[in-house]
Amino acid sequence: MVAKEINRPVAKAPGSAWLMGVAAWAIPGLGHLLQGKWARALILGGSVWAMFLIGLAIGGHLFRVGPNDQGVTAMLQLLPISANFGAGLLYIGCWLTNTGFVEQAQRVTYEYGNTFLLCAGLLNYLAMLDAFDIAAGRKP
Amino acid sequence: MWMALFASLTAFVFGVVAKGSDRQRVIYGLKVFAEFLVIAFVLGWILYFLPLR
Repeated sequence: MVAKEINRPVAKAPGSAWLMGVAAWAIPGLGHLLQGKWARALILGGSVWAMFLIGLAIGGHLFRVGPNDQGVTAMLQLLPISANFGAGLLYIGCWLTNTGFVEQAQRVTYEYGNTFLLCAGLLNYLAMLDAFDIAAGRKP
Repeated sequence: MWMALFASLTAFVFGVVAKGSDRQRVIYGLKVFAEFLVIAFVLGWILYFLPLR
């Protein structure tokens, strides 16, 4: 039964599905919007945007490998960076404008802010996979 | 308040990307929201009684 399920042939995803995935990653909500899934775009995109902006507003900081990070310290940054990177152009925009990378540990909501920023990226990865599945016809 | 906001935004996403009928997804989203809050309160009280300082 399980072997049959594992060996079940999966239809190859069309190129448009990959494009939708990239769009969904780049701008949260865009992947669903382009497919006419307005409600999903509003809820998923709105949640990710809200989490990211609230995270920045309450003192969270984004991660990157700085010039002082060497060896293991640099390696330890990779996991949170990969989570932050999920926010797509929001993260890249902040990186280009050097916004949100300053630690504000003196603020009470600092840890909440970090969690919001990390989870915004991780949730956007989920939204990206959802947009891909819809475009590939694997989900209604 | 921040915990509730975090739980609600996360539950929205989990509920939307879940499989099943609309009703099942709404129930799943509510369950995720409630689980976040309950676990946070339980862990909070456990940490309160631990002599960490």
